[in-house]
This record gives sequence, C-alpha cells and structure tokens, in this order.
Amino acid sequence: MGMNVQETLASPLVWHPQTPQEAWQLKQTYGTESIYISGGTLLRTFWESGMAAMPQHFIDLSTIRGLRELRIGEAGFLIGSQATLQSCRTNMLLQRHFPMITEAIRTIAAPSIRQLATIGGNVACYIGDSIVALLGYDAEVIWFDGIAEQRSLLMNWLQTGQGAKHDDKRLLLQMVLPFEEMEQETISSDEADKLSSQMKRFGAYHKVGRREGFTPSVATICINGRLTGSGVIQHIRIAVGGGQTVPSRLDKLEKEITGAIVDNQLLQHAYERVLQLYEPREDLFASAEYRKSTAANLIAAELWKAVRDDT
Amino acid sequence: MSNKAVEEGVPYSLHCFINEGEESIKTAPSTRLLTILRDELKLTGTKRSCDIGRCGACMVLIDGKAVNSCLAMAYQCSGKHITSIEGVALQGIDYIQQAFLEEGGFQCGYCTPGMIVSVKALLDDNSEPTDDEIAEALSGNICRCTGYGGIWRAVKQAVERKRQLLAMEQKEELI
Repeated sequence: MGMNVQETLASPLVWHPQTPQEAWQLKQTYGTESIYISGGTLLRTFWESGMAAMPQHFIDLSTIRGLRELRIGEAGFLIGSQATLQSCRTNMLLQRHFPMITEAIRTIAAPSIRQLATIGGNVACYIGDSIVALLGYDAEVIWFDGIAEQRSLLMNWLQTGQGAKHDDKRLLLQMVLPFEEMEQETISSDEADKLSSQMKRFGAYHKVGRREGFTPSVATICINGRLTGSGVIQHIRIAVGGGQTVPSRLDKLEKEITGAIVDNQLLQHAYERVLQLYEPREDLFASAEYRKSTAANLIAAELWKAVRDDT
Repeated sequence: MSNKAVEEGVPYSLHCFINEGEESIKTAPSTRLLTILRDELKLTGTKRSCDIGRCGACMVLIDGKAVNSCLAMAYQCSGKHITSIEGVALQGIDYIQQAFLEEGGFQCGYCTPGMIVSVKALLDDNSEPTDDEIAEALSGNICRCTGYGGIWRAVKQAVERKRQLLAMEQKEELI
C-alpha cells in the first residue's frame, strides 16, 4: 500500500536531539524503526543499493553540542564523533601530532564526501579506514550507555561490538588519542634523556586496494613504534584491517618483538606471525590468504625500512 | 519542540538559499538535494550519474564547500546557502568556465559542471594550490572521455587567472 502525499512528505521523521541522553532515549523509544545519523553517506549507499531499508525515524546526531570539536584535553587529543572527516583531515594539530590519522582520512573517498561524512560514522561502522590508524595510536573511545559516559580502548570496544552493526545500547561520543610518553618508570631522568635523544620513531599507514580510490582496501595496515639507537624495538603498535574485516591490533606479535633487535630473523618471524594471527574476511575480489600475505608483506617491509633508515 | 524537526503528520518544508534566492520547498526530509535541484527547480546543469557519491557529476557548493548533491538530504540543507553550476555563472561566464572552454577541459561535457564546481571550491579556499592539492580536490570528479589532460590545463589556467584577479583587487585597494 502506497503512502499518501502527507505521509510521503513527512517521512522519515527527523529528530534533532540536543544531548546524548536525548539521542539515546529516542533510540530506545523507536528501536529498529530508527537510526542514528549524521553525514549519512554510508547509509545512503545502503539505501540506494537495497542493502537496507530507510527507517522511519532519523536521529540526527549533528545537533548534539560539543561533538564536533577537535581539541587537546587532559587525557590527550580529543576528536568529537561528529567532526567531519574533512575537518579532521585539515586540522593542523592532528596533522602535527598524529599524521597517520590525517593520512588515513586522505584515503577515504573524496573531499566532497568528507565534508558530510563524520569520523564517528567511520568508526561506528566497525570497518572504516580511520580505525586502523586510530589503533596505531592506542586510541580510546568514550561512549554513552544511557546512564554515564564510559571509556575504553578502541581495540576492546571493537572486539565487544563485532557483529553489532546497529549498536542500540551505545552512542559513540569521542575518540581520545593519548600523547605518547617515554616509558620511564624504571630508569633515571638522566638515562631517560639519553635514551630519548637516541630513540628513533617510525610509523607508516598503508591502504592497498585494487584501484587508487573509491574501493574497499585489500589490506590496510598501520605500524607505529620506536627503536633504540642499537636497533632494538622499544615500543610498537601494529594494526590491520581492510575490506569487510573489523580492524584489530596484532598485540601478540607486538609483545613477541618488543625488546628484540630488528634483523632478518625478526622480519621472517613477523611475516609468518601476521599470516597466523590475522584473520581477514574474504570476498569475491580477494581471498583471505591474499589479504594475509599483503598485510604481512607491508608490515615486514615497514619494519625493514625502519631499521634500514636507521643505519 | 526543540528536538524535533517535523511534527508528526506535518509535511516537511525545506527553507534554504539556492543561487542567492530564498526557497521554501515541500519535500520529504530524506529527498536528495540533487532531486530538488533538477526535478523541483529545473536546475539541470547539475548532472545525475552514479547516485552514490563516486563520480562528482552532481557536485554543488553548500555554504561554499563542494558536496555531492546525490548524498545530501533535504533536512541537511536547512538554512544553508547552495550554489549550483547555474549559480557559478550568475554574473556571466566565470573565469573557471572560461578556462575549461579555452583549454578544452571537456569532451562530452557531462562531468564539466561538477568539475567546475569542485575547482571553484578549491580556489575560493586556496588560491595557490599545489599539484597535490589540486589532485586531491578533484579526486571525487570522474571524467570518462578526456584523459584529464585538458582538465588539468584548465585548472592550471584557472589558478593563474585567480592569481591575476587577486593582484588586480589588491591594486584597486591601494588606489
């Protein structure tokens, strides 16, 4: 039965909550008949392709105060979930302190889409390319569960949220990027200064796809670490994702190679462990094995480049 | 009621500014801006093509920023200033359009309005773009028939023309 003219012109109903509490309450009220929306760019593609039906209620998150801010806070650099991807891409502080985030965003669609799309949407869809870079910086997320703001590591949030495409019980508010500090607990300040001057930071973000743009990646990796003057890995974060795979940190590999010197044996070990630890989803265009070997090659190559550049 | 745009059962009306004119359009909140421009207002310079934000043929300016009108929904345009390709030429042929004409920056011409809108957004924001910045700004505009050589020349000429225009403005201010 078709809608009459009045229903057509009024539907869907768009709600403009002013606070996370109001947004969350609306979601509880309208349930599966409603959807949180901000830029709506990904949702639009779902509706156009018939992958999802347009719900009757839009809960517009763009009107919630304060969620578009990008700023330095006590806990680190705060990115509001409603910040557009383009505002993140062009933010000077983010570029200076967390360049792999802005590089990741550069590879997401085109500026015209990034003017609408938000980083919160990219993260909340669980497979966005910004997630891999955020994991590389140990990002945390702050979400609202209807009672209070909760905070957890992004990697944990992704694990518990896997499969929950429309997460009704949590509303993503902010991402927090901690400023990296020297791990100085067990060393004197003199030793710390000496270590700091000798330490070399390295990092890389890669998105490998079948074409340069507008294609789901075969493999996306982020590697972020520090080497001592003698080529020993002092700290490292390795994140992988791409395609329909929920990104993850290879924390077992990180532990295994921390404290080790980067040599051929370590590179071989890292390559093989990526093949073992990474579990990508395959699709019609790329098998899981192909995605694994792509990610393993990228990670091993970046480790090699880090130590090669050091000598 | 502050947290609701549309009272239940009441048709939605989009109020915005299109090519410097104030508009009030009855439509569904989810109607695409592309549909409003082409079907309601008969502004057919904005082209429909991929419908999912890939090709850039439907590019318009929303508050001065290039946005795919196939992705922007009516309720998101409330109170905004929208400029379509017709708006770019309100004062006569624009220097960017002239550059596309002179440098052969088009073949079939279907992508050209979107290209021009994207270049306008770029040059309004950054009058001295690097090659990388030009490539990034136009990365959402696909042309299937020129091979991009003519488009690249047109953009370079537009950049030079913008530089001249700014120099003339500065000179006039000094006088």
